[in-house]
Amino acid sequence: MVLADLGRRINSAISSLNRSPTIDDKQLDAALKEICTALLESDVNVKLVASLRSRVRTKVKAALEGGADKAKEAQRRNVVQKTVFDELVSLVNPGVEPYKPKKGQSNIIMAVGLQGNGKTTTCTKLAVYYQKRGFKSCIVCADTFRAGAFDQTRQSATKAKVAYFGSYTETDPVVIAAQGVEKFRKERFEIIIVDTSGRHKQEKDLFAEMEQISAAVKPDMTILVLDASIGQAAEAQSRAFKEAADFGAIIVTKMDGHAKGGGAISAVAATQTPIIFLGTGEHLSDLERFAPEPFISKMLGMGDIQGLVEQ
Amino acid sequence: WFGNIVSRLTGSRMLTDQELQPVLGAMKEHLMRKNVAAEIADKVVESVGRELRGKKVTGFKGIKTEVRAALSASITRILTPKTSTDLLLSIRAKRSSSLLSSPVPYSLTFVGVNGVGKSTNLSKVAFWLLQNGLEVLVAACDTFRSGAVEQLRVHVRNLTLLGGAQAGGGRRVELFEKGYGKDAAGIAREAIAYAKENAFDVVLIDTAGRMQDNEPLMRALSKLVAVNNPDKIIFVGEALVGNEAVDQLTKFDRSLKDFSASSGLGAGRGRGIDGMLVTKWDTVDDKVGAALSMTYVTGQPILFVGCGQTYTDLRQLRVGHIVDALLRD
Ligand SMILES: Nc1nc2c(ncn2[C@@H]2O[C@H](COP(=O)(O)OP(=O)(O)OP(=O)(O)O)[C@@H](O)[C@H]2O)c(=O)[nH]1
Ligand SMILES: Nc1nc2c(ncn2[C@@H]2O[C@H](COP(=O)(O)OP(=O)(O)OP(=O)(O)O)[C@@H](O)[C@H]2O)c(=O)[nH]1
Ligand SMILES: [Mg+2]
Ligand SMILES: [Mg+2]
Repeated sequence: MVLADLGRRINSAISSLNRSPTIDDKQLDAALKEICTALLESDVNVKLVASLRSRVRTKVKAALEGGADKAKEAQRRNVVQKTVFDELVSLVNPGVEPYKPKKGQSNIIMAVGLQGNGKTTTCTKLAVYYQKRGFKSCIVCADTFRAGAFDQTRQSATKAKVAYFGSYTETDPVVIAAQGVEKFRKERFEIIIVDTSGRHKQEKDLFAEMEQISAAVKPDMTILVLDASIGQAAEAQSRAFKEAADFGAIIVTKMDGHAKGGGAISAVAATQTPIIFLGTGEHLSDLERFAPEPFISKMLGMGDIQGLVEQ
Repeated sequence: WFGNIVSRLTGSRMLTDQELQPVLGAMKEHLMRKNVAAEIADKVVESVGRELRGKKVTGFKGIKTEVRAALSASITRILTPKTSTDLLLSIRAKRSSSLLSSPVPYSLTFVGVNGVGKSTNLSKVAFWLLQNGLEVLVAACDTFRSGAVEQLRVHVRNLTLLGGAQAGGGRRVELFEKGYGKDAAGIAREAIAYAKENAFDVVLIDTAGRMQDNEPLMRALSKLVAVNNPDKIIFVGEALVGNEAVDQLTKFDRSLKDFSASSGLGAGRGRGIDGMLVTKWDTVDDKVGAALSMTYVTGQPILFVGCGQTYTDLRQLRVGHIVDALLRD
């Protein structure tokens, strides 16, 4: 499903290498060009693609020159496949373990991100996810800015049968966040999710507000919620959020559409932060766990590459 | 980047393909860094190539000027509206051409994928219309997303307060809503009828966000269009979107046309996108390429630009500004 299109293109570039009897520079460059074009069309950051291209080329060349034995042509092609696969995996895998909520204690999760990227929807999905796994879960609506924000939380939390907290009259999100977390902590909720307003790096005040909320609720994990369709602004925005809110995980939303999520992947690379879930629809159960290697193999639609890696 | 790429071209002679190739490649990469979709960057660069190929130029400066001018001209051509963008004019024209004692109100439908800013920018447009002396009915036809109706209710309440505070007593703005779970096309129809009876000038129809590949939802939107035949169908897209801009616009336009044509209902059969509203302009610095991608795909004008979260953060597109931003390093 997800990224299948991109996978097809990368696959066909690699298999065109497979068909040629030998691999010379020209063929390798042609295949790499095809792969990079596919990545660029999927919104992977332009600079990131350039560096991936040169890393793959260097690695492959070193490997090819190392084993100059003509008889092992097939293995030499596998080198190309494996290098590409590894580089793609490392694009989405910063090698950092995300926070794991623990039962019997309060785990505070705070959602931040750009306007309209899916924070509020994702907060409810997360609450449902953890609730199903036996955590007592709730949501604090600390968005006092967006028109109808509390109604949105109230309605979707009610639908999901999840406890919620918010206010129609209090205008300071820091106060609401602190009150809500305090209340739910006392009531021994195990997953307390704090939803915040959308914001962007160009508005200093909005970022300062986010830092204040964070200071007030001391989240165990802050999550950046990012829309799969974001283009070249992903890097700068996610870097700024990382600096101000030090998020420890990313959730990429709207993966049920046609978007390949390359911008979101670039945010992973820019902030060295793992993706933990994908949002795959507007309904409360449309949330999938994310894992780098299965994700890339699925994207490439290739069991055989997976096999190579396990060798 | 400009000095950089054109320094590869020297001397005084005809520009050849071979010389142009690396220049065009660098130009394409530059455009993509500005968030122009790859496919569109390709096409722009192709047209610049056609322009320059075989052209006779002298000296470094001459070449630099030629390349820059060709790119600038190509972008300007794409962005320059081919139809009128004067909404007030067409609203007034419709009203004055009507022979009825209670004229049919002018209607605008806002469509687009999830979370791009349809409802917020609809409210900004309402504010702008009110300031221009028009009376506005807001139709809440997103009957799906939690809080969608209340969101518009808050905006209409704010706008009423703002309007009331204005000199001259302010203009009427009202919300038309039927709650959640109902058929959006039917609510839009009732809203237009209500606006006609109550002499509103304009009806702004808010719709639920949807993914362009979601056929049932695209069919439902097409039905709303076919039944109500709005005066303008405005696609709302965000400046943040990357390559998806192409697919979103192609499919929204195609699906609206195809599905509304085959629905067999109403006067709005075969209608597509009439114009765009590009939001979140304030979040992308000078990476404004999405505007170019969107206009290239539809050939329709950008009617408004959203550049913030307050009612006054709505602007008209300045083609010169975008060209500058796209050419900048
Ligand atoms: N198709 C699809 N839509 C989604 C997904 N996640 C969220 N949405 C939709 O995206 C839109 C925006 O979602 P919200 O949850 O309101 O976004 P937000 O980040 O809280 O927005 P602000 O609070 O205004 O910044 C809504 O229409 C949601 O239904 C997803 O995974 N897939
Ligand atoms: N920075 C910025 N934010 C904007 C702009 N326009 C809208 N927003 C914000 O984007 C978020 C989503 O806006 P909505 O109007 O709810 O979007 P929508 O398209 O109606 O969303 P759905 O109905 O859920 O599909 C809100 O937080 C808005 O305040 C803009 O021009 N700049
Ligand atoms: Mg929200
Ligand atoms: Mg809306």
